[in-house]
Amino acid sequence: MNPQFIMDGLIAGAIIGLGAVGVTLTYSILRFSNFAHGELLSWGAYLALAVAGALGFLSAGLTKPIAPFSFGWALPISAVIAIGLTGLLALAVDALLFSSFRRRGSAIIIMVMASFGASLALRSLLEFLFTSKPAYFTKALQIAMKLGGGLRATPDQLLMLGVALVAVVTVHLLMTRTDIGRAMRAVSENPALASIAGIDVRRVIRTVWFLGAALACVAGIMSGLLIQIRPYLGHDLLLPLFAAAILGGIGSVPGAMLAGLIIGLCEALAVQAVGAEWRAAVSFVILIAVLLVRPRGLFGKAS
Amino acid sequence: MTAPILSTHGLVAGYEPDLPIVRGIDFSVSSGELVVLLGPNGAGKSTFVKAIAGLVPIHAGTMMLNGRDITHVSPHRKVAEGLAFVPQTENVFATMTILENLQIAVAHLPKAKRGAAIEALFARFPDLAARPSRLAGALSGGQRQMLAVARALALDPPVIILDEPSAGLSPKIVSEVFDMLKAINAGGVTVLLVEQNVKAALAIASRAVILAEGRIAHEGLPEELASDPLVGKIYLGTAHGHQGAPA
Repeated sequence: MNPQFIMDGLIAGAIIGLGAVGVTLTYSILRFSNFAHGELLSWGAYLALAVAGALGFLSAGLTKPIAPFSFGWALPISAVIAIGLTGLLALAVDALLFSSFRRRGSAIIIMVMASFGASLALRSLLEFLFTSKPAYFTKALQIAMKLGGGLRATPDQLLMLGVALVAVVTVHLLMTRTDIGRAMRAVSENPALASIAGIDVRRVIRTVWFLGAALACVAGIMSGLLIQIRPYLGHDLLLPLFAAAILGGIGSVPGAMLAGLIIGLCEALAVQAVGAEWRAAVSFVILIAVLLVRPRGLFGKAS
Repeated sequence: MTAPILSTHGLVAGYEPDLPIVRGIDFSVSSGELVVLLGPNGAGKSTFVKAIAGLVPIHAGTMMLNGRDITHVSPHRKVAEGLAFVPQTENVFATMTILENLQIAVAHLPKAKRGAAIEALFARFPDLAARPSRLAGALSGGQRQMLAVARALALDPPVIILDEPSAGLSPKIVSEVFDMLKAINAGGVTVLLVEQNVKAALAIASRAVILAEGRIAHEGLPEELASDPLVGKIYLGTAHGHQGAPA
């Protein structure tokens, strides 16, 4: 067996893990499965592409690759702007759709079905604006470096692993060391008690939407940079994202990241062991197994 | 009697607009009082105090705190206005540590003052100071109640409302909890207490109010209510009242 599956799995797992952190945060605080979360990955990637394109139009020097990477300064600058824009998009979807259901005290199934509708609308809008033709941040070729142990990775791939690690550590520190992080955990455990403990629950909900969307944007850009950008980019990752969020334990940031890496590695292993056509089934098998054996996941709290 | 610090006027509240549980309550508490709210099960005591805290929808009437209308103020703003509430159950964040529970409580203070505020709470509740990194969910019933009260007192509120703080506690711990409430009141905090433990509650109260079917049925001094056999029999489940119970 070629050990390269480890590197492939870690890279795919980092993307899944970042997306899953957003899923686990929104699920634990908003208390419904947001099936539109995948679209935030796609929108993040396309928004970064659009901003990078505009920056490249304004200054061609910004598209010149920064050695040893395949992209120029336009991408990191556009990533920062896209993170903000994706966050605002999530807030707009919440304000237009989900907040009215919350005010009415709608059942969870209504929120879930609304998220399906939002998913379809957001994806169709992307196809309308950007067409369904694949797009790329860069078409520059990169030579993979030998890392030892039969592993190879491109500088872009190693950078993305580093970005994912920094993002998860930052979110973990935010959740455990800051007022807003403690407030998010408090609302996740008991929204009514949180409100009488002086926490502005609506502000926490807005923060969670923004943070989840920001992480989805980073994951979407990573996927777009390392593979390609398509309107179905996020939708196709939805099952692995939910599988990772549940395997990690709902509400656990490190759990979601670790579970994302596990799922990425299992998928890469499955590609070598049984063939690429079984890759998508891996998340489903893991999801079913976790729900049967340990529904609270690796780091979830017992109810 | 001094001007009321907390009052409600014709308050109607309940989870459904067409099924009010609180049915028009005119009620007030003066600064420094310790008022106990008594009544049979289903009288609307807990719903009434939850409505004051902002956890149950209000359908009619008004509510004032320190002369300010807080009828439709959100629960977290009421905390900032000086109204603290300790629910009967699930009154601490069980998955968080003692310290984190208190850090949440002092988050409204300027950062420079938070450390001193937490130290002051630990000095007041030494049991909590022993292991601040302990998960609140691992605490005993009495310790949880202390943590819940400490959280509520973190911002030095002028008014604290407690919903059956003695529920589920052993008699020894109940006695400690009531001593604590008496001390809090003696420190100048106005206390509104919902209780099923009639004897202990009347013993520390400065005034008692009896609710029945979502309305005020009786109110008066604890001695009067405790010695009224009719009140005891109908509303408090005691055949002969509580002669001599109040201190």
